[in-house]
Amino acid sequence: MAGDQKPPNAGGPGDVPPGAGQGWTALSYLIAGMLVWGFIGWLVDRWLETGGVATGIGIVLGMAGGIVLVVRRLGTPQ
Amino acid sequence: MFGQSNVLAQGEVNFPPSVEDFYLPSIAPWGAHNNYWFTKITLMVWLAVGILILFFLLTYRKPQLVPTKKQWLAESIYGFVRNNIAVDMIGHQGVRFAPYFTTLFCFVLLTNFFAIVPFFQISPNSHIAFPALLAAISYVLFNYVGIKQHGFVKYFKNALVPPAPWYILPLLIPIEAFSTFLVRPFSLAVRLFANMFAGHMLLLVFTLGGFAMLNANALLAPVSVVSWLMTIALTFLEFLVIVLQAYVFTVLTASYVQGALAEEH
Repeated sequence: MAGDQKPPNAGGPGDVPPGAGQGWTALSYLIAGMLVWGFIGWLVDRWLETGGVATGIGIVLGMAGGIVLVVRRLGTPQ
Repeated sequence: MFGQSNVLAQGEVNFPPSVEDFYLPSIAPWGAHNNYWFTKITLMVWLAVGILILFFLLTYRKPQLVPTKKQWLAESIYGFVRNNIAVDMIGHQGVRFAPYFTTLFCFVLLTNFFAIVPFFQISPNSHIAFPALLAAISYVLFNYVGIKQHGFVKYFKNALVPPAPWYILPLLIPIEAFSTFLVRPFSLAVRLFANMFAGHMLLLVFTLGGFAMLNANALLAPVSVVSWLMTIALTFLEFLVIVLQAYVFTVLTASYVQGALAEEH
C-alpha cells in the first residue's frame, strides 16, 4: 500500500491544474476565441454592411487569440 | 416505467422516440395533465437526496477503528474524492472543499445511475434544470472563493488579464471573460445534460426500435433481438458514461476552484 501512493502533491496554489482541467481549459479558449471575435466581427458586418468579411477576419483573429492564450496560460512552466 | 408498459399493452410503438418521452406523467395528483409538481423525476431526486443522507449518517454514526463494510465503503468514497480530486487538484487547501465535492460527486453519480436502474430508467440529469442548478452552485462557489481569497479587483484582474504583452491584451481579454464567466457554467451544465439525454435516447431508440420492427413485420424478429442485445450492450456503455460524467463534473468544479485560488501567473 505504501508503495503505490503518489508522491504528495505539494500543491501550492500556483500549481498548473493537472490533466482533465487543463484539457477543457484549452478547448474552451480555442472555441471561445472564435466565438467572441467572430461575434464582434459579425456585429461590425451588420454595422458597415461588409457582407461577411469582418466576420471572417474576426474568427481568424479569435483563433490566433485563443492559441496565444493557451500558450501563455498553459504552455509556459511557472 | 409508463412508456414501456404502454408499449407492451398497446402493441404499437411511437417510434422514433422524441423529447416528449422525457416528460413523464404526474404522480401526485395521479395522471394529472395540468399539474406537474410531483413526477417520477421529482421522486428520484428526493430519493437520491434521502439515500445519500441516510447512507452517510448511518455509516458514520458509530465509526469503528476497524471499519465495518459499510463504513469502509463510505470512507472509500470520501477518501477517493478528498485525495484524488480535492487534494490532487487544489493542494492542501482542497481538504476544506472535500465535503462539498463528495456530496456533489455522490449526488451526480446516484442521479445519473437512475438511468440504468430497472423501473427508474431515466436520469433526472437528462432534464437540463438539474445540471444547470449544479453548475450554478459551482459557478457561485468558485467566484466566491476567488473573491474571498484575492479581493474583488485582484480576482478579476487575475482571471481576465493573462500574462501577455499589452498590445495583444485587447484581443485576449474578451476571450478570457467569455471563456471563464460564460462558457464554464454553460459547458458544465450542458456536458452532463447532453450525456444523460443522449444516453436515454439511445436506449429508447434500440428498445422501441426492436418493438417497431417486430410490429412492422414478424420476419424482422431476429433483427429485433439484435436490437435488444444492443440495448444491453449500450446499458454497460451507459454505466461508463454515468461514472465518467460524475467524475468529470467534480473534477472540473475542483479545477475552477483551483484556478480561482491560484496566485497570478
